[in-house]
Amino acid sequence: MHTIICVKQVLDPEIPPAKFKIDPETKKVIPPAGVPPVISVFDERAVEAACRLKDKNKGKITIISMGSAKAADVVRHTLSMGADDGIVLTDDAFENLDSFGTAYVLSKAIKKIGAFDLVLCGRQAADWGAGQVGSILGEMLGIPIITLACNIEVTGQALKIRRIVRDGFEVLEAPMPSLITVSSEIGLPRLPGGMGLMMARRKVIPTWKAVDIGAEAAMLDKANSHTEVTGLSVPTRKSECEMITGVTLVEAAGNLAARIIKLV
Amino acid sequence: MSPVSATYWGISGYIIFWVFFVVAAGLFVQRTWFLFRLIRLGKPENRFDHMGQRINNMVREVVTQRCSLKSVTRKDLAGFGHAFLFWGFSLFFLSYIIFIGLAGGFGLASIILGGTFERVFSSILDIAGLFVTIAIVWAAIRRYIVRPARLQMSAEAGIIMGMVFGLMLLHFLGDGFGLASAGVTTSWPPISGAIARLLSGSSISNLTLKHVYYSLWWLHYFLILSFAVYVPRSKHMHILASIFNEIFIPLGQKVVIEPIPVEEQENFGISKIQDFTWKDLLDLYSCAVCGRCHASCPAQLTGKTLSPREVIHNLKEHLLEAGSALLTPQPVTAKDGQPKEMLGGVVTEPEIWACTTCGACQEVCPVGIEHVRKIIGFRRNLTMSQSKMPESAQLMLRNMQSRGNPWAGVQSMRLRGDWTSGLDLKILADGDTTDTLFWVGCTGALVERNVKATLAMAKVFKAAGVDFAVLGDAETCCGDPARRAGYDFQFQVMAEQNIEMFKSHGIKQIITSCPHCLNTIKNEYPQYGGEFKVVHYTEFIADLIKQDKIKLSNELNSTLTFHDPCYLGRYNHIYQEPRGILQSIPNAKLTEMERSKSSSFCCGGGGGLMWIEEQPGTTKISHMRLEDALKTGADTVVTACPYCLQMFEESIEHKGIQSKLKALDLVEIVEAAMKQS
Ligand code: SF4
Ligand code: SF4
Repeated sequence: MHTIICVKQVLDPEIPPAKFKIDPETKKVIPPAGVPPVISVFDERAVEAACRLKDKNKGKITIISMGSAKAADVVRHTLSMGADDGIVLTDDAFENLDSFGTAYVLSKAIKKIGAFDLVLCGRQAADWGAGQVGSILGEMLGIPIITLACNIEVTGQALKIRRIVRDGFEVLEAPMPSLITVSSEIGLPRLPGGMGLMMARRKVIPTWKAVDIGAEAAMLDKANSHTEVTGLSVPTRKSECEMITGVTLVEAAGNLAARIIKLV
Repeated sequence: MSPVSATYWGISGYIIFWVFFVVAAGLFVQRTWFLFRLIRLGKPENRFDHMGQRINNMVREVVTQRCSLKSVTRKDLAGFGHAFLFWGFSLFFLSYIIFIGLAGGFGLASIILGGTFERVFSSILDIAGLFVTIAIVWAAIRRYIVRPARLQMSAEAGIIMGMVFGLMLLHFLGDGFGLASAGVTTSWPPISGAIARLLSGSSISNLTLKHVYYSLWWLHYFLILSFAVYVPRSKHMHILASIFNEIFIPLGQKVVIEPIPVEEQENFGISKIQDFTWKDLLDLYSCAVCGRCHASCPAQLTGKTLSPREVIHNLKEHLLEAGSALLTPQPVTAKDGQPKEMLGGVVTEPEIWACTTCGACQEVCPVGIEHVRKIIGFRRNLTMSQSKMPESAQLMLRNMQSRGNPWAGVQSMRLRGDWTSGLDLKILADGDTTDTLFWVGCTGALVERNVKATLAMAKVFKAAGVDFAVLGDAETCCGDPARRAGYDFQFQVMAEQNIEMFKSHGIKQIITSCPHCLNTIKNEYPQYGGEFKVVHYTEFIADLIKQDKIKLSNELNSTLTFHDPCYLGRYNHIYQEPRGILQSIPNAKLTEMERSKSSSFCCGGGGGLMWIEEQPGTTKISHMRLEDALKTGADTVVTACPYCLQMFEESIEHKGIQSKLKALDLVEIVEAAMKQS
């Protein structure tokens, strides 16, 4: 079984708000100094899902990541978790692509890799959070798409997927190959073991450019982009504190209840 | 005439003597050979360097009994007992060779006995015997009547004490009857002489005296042989093993954590007997189950399941049990014949994660047992081979992996390098060089309370005109929490990166504010080719004061007590510098906690436990330590480690006694005491 996972490197979501700066002119986030990018948390869970499948059914895991050359660090992390191969897709033309453009680049890379049984993505990226690349990619690859999976099993030639819905979950069956986006409920990603870390350090991670995957220039042209960023701002958050009192505790509780009722 | 030269039921005494000797020697060798073969199950480890120095160390420790005397306190005088027992018994051992072996078995009685030599030696023996008897009675009282917590009642101890008591009794009576039957009445040797005088004055016939003497002599002989056979079969094998253990103790650092051997591929750390090195196994034999480690272990004292004594003792039992199965060539097939799993069974995970690696156990252990590296070995297996660890440990390691430091979330209110803003500091950029680096450490750079101490440090160094630089946001973790948690690959990655970086900046001297950084960079980086001069800031400041570059002239009007951080004191023997600094401040009164210097009590934050949640117990380690500080009546507890500082602050707040006791880093006091110019 060959699983391909698309992972993204993102700004560390743990950075304190004071450190988060944007440039309103170029409408871009300014990466703070001294904070290395991390793997998008949802993608890491997709890797965990794939590793669990591999633990049970054997097979191979290939990671692709589109981004700067630094994405190699993120890819290496997934290799230490248990992935077998990793590829970084880097090209000036890949910068600032929208979901559609990103899915296109990923689909070209996947086609170059060749045969596969499953493609996994995180449910969304931890930075922009659009949650579109997975679905568009499935469309481009022409395979079934299942989103928000919280459990994946292999049953013979098919996949059994438990999928999160608003009021619970549903269980679906899908053929192979399919594309599945993985939700956080799948569980905590593993800490790489000693073996994994050792293997990952030795592996070579190739870099593919636009020409390597045969991506057409027109498809990467920003002018043809389906999305336009019209503005970017850091939301301001205001908090106020109001002390609710009463002579007795019962009275204070009553006043509190009354105040809450007014709010809702 | 010696009892051996007589004939018994037609059999020569010599034959009886040697037959029993050979049988006993055979049993002795059989057992010790078995024990030796078990040790050889362990992995190789080179502890054969500097043999001269090693043997010298052993002699110094054992012959002078420093090993047991070093832990004598007003409350625990047992070390004296052991020393008297050891010296006294050594004399007896010599006497067995001379009087029983040479004079008896080899028939040299006419040369050895009857002269001044015998009288002098016997007199010495009499006095030694008295000391040994007193020591044994005292030991028995301590085991069966007023038993301190560190000791366990055991049948083995009873048998051994009975045997030694019997040997002493037989010495006195045997010699007494011997002298009486020979018609010698003398006041030297004093005790057996007195017995002899008593007997001579009685109406017992000479023949009876002689018969009783012969019987006692043989009884004595058989008891000696039984003792030799029994010792290697009991916990008293420590008598033999500890002598070797003292030879092979680590020469430099007491607690050495070795890198993962390169050939290790799948099974990391320790999960079964064969994963230990031979020295680790020798350690197990050497344990006298004296319980000193048990009585100083912060985890044990705060009600956790961990007891270093039990860990070592249980591992020994396991070795003796599982080891014999490993020695037999055919594999054990019966399922129920399988010995208990070592990791998880003999030593459990809650025990392993309760250890703060404070090193108190190793410090007090009289026989040089290395507890800490065994516990870290288990952690290595859990984290790297089995991915089994408390969630808090996983979170910390994850942060180290992706963020380069163990702190995360709301804890890291500040980011690396932020603290430098507003200070005119030399921050190393790529290509910059410096001789002296101030290595801040994660906690000092990221946690608000500790950042205050870091700022004080930078100000003190600047005021003293020190030419130094910092790494700012390029600084990552030194790797200590990963190594202590057993996740050694992460440590290795960080160590290699940091060494590379130090070299690229041409750094020669590193001043650390955290004793954990000090320990890793100074003592463990050399394992990866990083040899730098590393000093703790307390050493550095003490030096600046000596050179008159810092003057502590402001009065303090405060009573201080200094808490020795484990990694500063026990791990790096820095006890005097911080005290010297504090004492040189006008009007600062320094008081000591009862547990201080090498017997300092951990704050609870070492060994990764700053992040890994404390195992359930009766109280928190830090809360127990706070009580120690309170007992001194000091108004300020001073420390020189960011973890200790946090631990104290947390427990002071928990107890709500902020107005009674403050916790400060030593550098904050230095800053306050420096003359403002
Ligand atoms: S290192 Fe400290 S916590 Fe760990 S076993 Fe020894 S005394 Fe106990
Ligand atoms: S390990 Fe050392 S201190 Fe602990 S019981 Fe054994 S001999 Fe005593």
